[in-house]
Amino acid sequence: MPDISYPIAERVLANGLHVVVSEDHTVPIVALNIWVKVGSRDEVQGRTGLAHLFEHLMFQGSANVASGEHFSALMAAGGRLNATTWFDRTNYFETVPKGALDLALWLEADRHGRLLDAVTQDNLDNQRDVVKEEKRQRYDNVPYGTALHEVYATIFPEGHPYQHPTIGSMADLDAATLTDVRDFFSRHYGPNNSVITLVGDITPEDGFAAVERYFGGLPASAVSRDDAIMTPLDPLPEPRRREIHAPVPHERLYIAFRLPADGTADFHAAGLALDILGGLGSSRLVERLVRTEQLTTSASAHPMGLAGGVSLGLVSAEMAEGVDPDLVEAIICEEINALIATGPTPDEMEAALADTERSWLSAMAGLDERADAISRDAALFGNPSRINSFIEEVRAITPDHVQRIAREWLQPHSRAVVAYRPELQTAPDPDSSRAQDTSSPAHAEGALA
Amino acid sequence: MTSSPTPVRDGQASVPPRPDVIPAEPFSVPTPSLTRLANGLTVLSYHLPGQYVISVRLAIPLPLAREPRDKEGVASIMSRTLDEGTARHTSVEFARMLERRGVALGAGMGEGGLSVDLDVAKRHLPDALDLLRQCITEPAFPQDQVERHVATRLAEIEQEYAVPAHRGGIELWRTYFDSQSRSARPVAGQAETVASITRDDVVAFHDEHVRPNAATIVVAGDLTGIDAASFVLKALGEWEIGETDSPLDLTAPPELPDRQPPALADDRARIVIVDRPDSVQAELLIACAGPDRHVEGGFAPFPMLGFILGGAPTSRLDLLLREDKGYTYGLRSGFRPRRRGGVFITSGSVRGDVAAEALDLTLSVLEDARAGVTDDEIAQARSFLTLTAPSRYATADTVAEEAAALSFDGLGTDFADRTLRAIAAASADEVSTAYRQFVDGSWTVVVVGDAASIAEPIAALGRGTPTVVAS
Repeated sequence: MPDISYPIAERVLANGLHVVVSEDHTVPIVALNIWVKVGSRDEVQGRTGLAHLFEHLMFQGSANVASGEHFSALMAAGGRLNATTWFDRTNYFETVPKGALDLALWLEADRHGRLLDAVTQDNLDNQRDVVKEEKRQRYDNVPYGTALHEVYATIFPEGHPYQHPTIGSMADLDAATLTDVRDFFSRHYGPNNSVITLVGDITPEDGFAAVERYFGGLPASAVSRDDAIMTPLDPLPEPRRREIHAPVPHERLYIAFRLPADGTADFHAAGLALDILGGLGSSRLVERLVRTEQLTTSASAHPMGLAGGVSLGLVSAEMAEGVDPDLVEAIICEEINALIATGPTPDEMEAALADTERSWLSAMAGLDERADAISRDAALFGNPSRINSFIEEVRAITPDHVQRIAREWLQPHSRAVVAYRPELQTAPDPDSSRAQDTSSPAHAEGALA
Repeated sequence: MTSSPTPVRDGQASVPPRPDVIPAEPFSVPTPSLTRLANGLTVLSYHLPGQYVISVRLAIPLPLAREPRDKEGVASIMSRTLDEGTARHTSVEFARMLERRGVALGAGMGEGGLSVDLDVAKRHLPDALDLLRQCITEPAFPQDQVERHVATRLAEIEQEYAVPAHRGGIELWRTYFDSQSRSARPVAGQAETVASITRDDVVAFHDEHVRPNAATIVVAGDLTGIDAASFVLKALGEWEIGETDSPLDLTAPPELPDRQPPALADDRARIVIVDRPDSVQAELLIACAGPDRHVEGGFAPFPMLGFILGGAPTSRLDLLLREDKGYTYGLRSGFRPRRRGGVFITSGSVRGDVAAEALDLTLSVLEDARAGVTDDEIAQARSFLTLTAPSRYATADTVAEEAAALSFDGLGTDFADRTLRAIAAASADEVSTAYRQFVDGSWTVVVVGDAASIAEPIAALGRGTPTVVAS
């Protein structure tokens, strides 16, 4: 297939705002996507969840925009919009008819530059309540809802910026004050800490001019993020384990590994190793545990890319009725050892590469997802054209490379295990779930923050 | 582009004036080219420039009521085992063949019938269609894989009972539909029927029902230089038709299975609490009858009403329960058309200790809307629904999905286009009248939560005595 290449033009405004434009005239719409280089990893102790709570306040009005008007004005103009917060970043995005792009930029510039005039205690209290309901709905009130939170807490050192989940804790959400919100905005929000990407029916010249028109007057007010605090982590020196006794229907295992940071060839190799283990229909764990021995009703593996010196790889499986999870864990370790010993087969490499390529092309099919990928590559890796070389980079990974990365990062002794044990009780009460940490008490690696 | 000659001042620096929006050009939903093969299969091809992954959706109309009563779930088990090996390939060989061509394949049952979805890069389309043919026309349904999927479905049922939104859904349909109706029970079956499903049941069901007579296949994407219909003909032209009373009439539209509107329970207007002790939230589900797409007067008012009441953060429900009260992360409300008869459903999670008040407020918002919607709300809904259409129909995936969904209902994507035009023309009066036609204030209400703390306050609302059932 002829390689797909998307045009990329970039410019940095005088105030430091990194602007990227990718023209695509197939549909008369523009996807606007802003990445602010602040996420839950930038939160301080006692204020977990603040980055995300702050993101909610960005919809509550700014100097020249009323509360809720960001939504109502853009939706009335045919915009679809939202924002999300994650470990490494906060993104704000809308897809609009091209005739509404200026309005979208004006609204975004007002909140990214002039939010604090509109922040009130009432808004903070209201959105704090909303976020607490979001936390309950998505994590606390569903079986296994906090499984990943347990994984982060187990695999990263105490106090590490990735050790706590983005949603934060109830106590910290309760503790957040207006002063915290103001300080957070002043420190992290400003054109010099953000990337803005426009993808769609617009030329680079028009796109740069439009962004300049609305963002050009904002001062370079943010304190630039210090990436140096995210020192790379090595694989775990010895296994860690946490057993969760909770009213869940089935035994489940979440087996996690530290991986190389995203944006590197080593991370691609780790991703292929996980695909071959459990990311595909023909993967080793799926074939053995699910199809042949039928010890588990599911088995999967996937990488979670993070930019700050370490990523995460996750293998998970749900036990079939009456199956001993220790047996399944032993088989997973055995299969990982086999991959480490002999590496992937050519067939496996071909399948993993073809699958990666197709899912990448699917992800790039929509303007909004393409804009988000470009913002990510510009904000985290300083390379907005990376979407055009991604497939080539993955294709360049050799079986030997995959084997070497598996040997370095996926050693069974480097695993962190979160094991769910059903409690024959009534219904979930996450606050009373007993987490028993049986890992070594000392966290030797350099804990940060 | 500027609307005001004087810059807005915010006290610190000059702010550019707020720009006007330049009206968008009129939009039309993409149109397909249509062919019908001799075996009845309708082929819809949508050429969408720049969409390099081709989305293929095969839709086979198939009422769930065709499942034997004691084998409910057999259609879903069949759909999940279609790709677990074929006449010529084992299950893992087949998985590997899909993967090496980068084919994503999935299948599932819905109210309308069986859907098989396939996404693939253009250069592998012919191979992918042949793999589709193999799993549709010569699946092996290996005994051990059927048994495995039965066990997996049984585990999935336990999980559904543990998740409040799913548990609530199960109870809602059980309360709303007549107990004799297939619609009162989960699409993929319940433990007592699923447990008895055998390979023979799956083989027989497949043989009788997975036929091209009234099926539609959608191929959407950048079709430059390829003739999708001839690819489909080559792959699926030999797919054998099922038994018919009379010969296939290819000049008439496909004959869809006859379907009566499902019977509703006589006592559906009541409140059921599913007891989930110690829940930190209550899951609310509220339903009454709604229209299907063939409703007299047209379907246009109903997406507008959904948007106004509970389709956006600016909707009536979220303005009150989220932005004012802070009781919820969000409530959603919408009219869901079914093949015959539809449902108006509102749902969301609310804080446990205010469950009764939140329920009362939610019902009041829905009931107050009988007084009518405002011109402003209509203008907002109209703009949002019509102006977002270009972005909603921008990818191969979304166009193919919509075309397949409408085909179950004997409709084409021109239905979506007609509805958009009607939305552009609808008045507040028409929309308000349409709402009153369906919403009379009698509701099926299900609340999943801690009965010990919520049952009494809910009873005290004076909206009827709740029935408490176990989780």
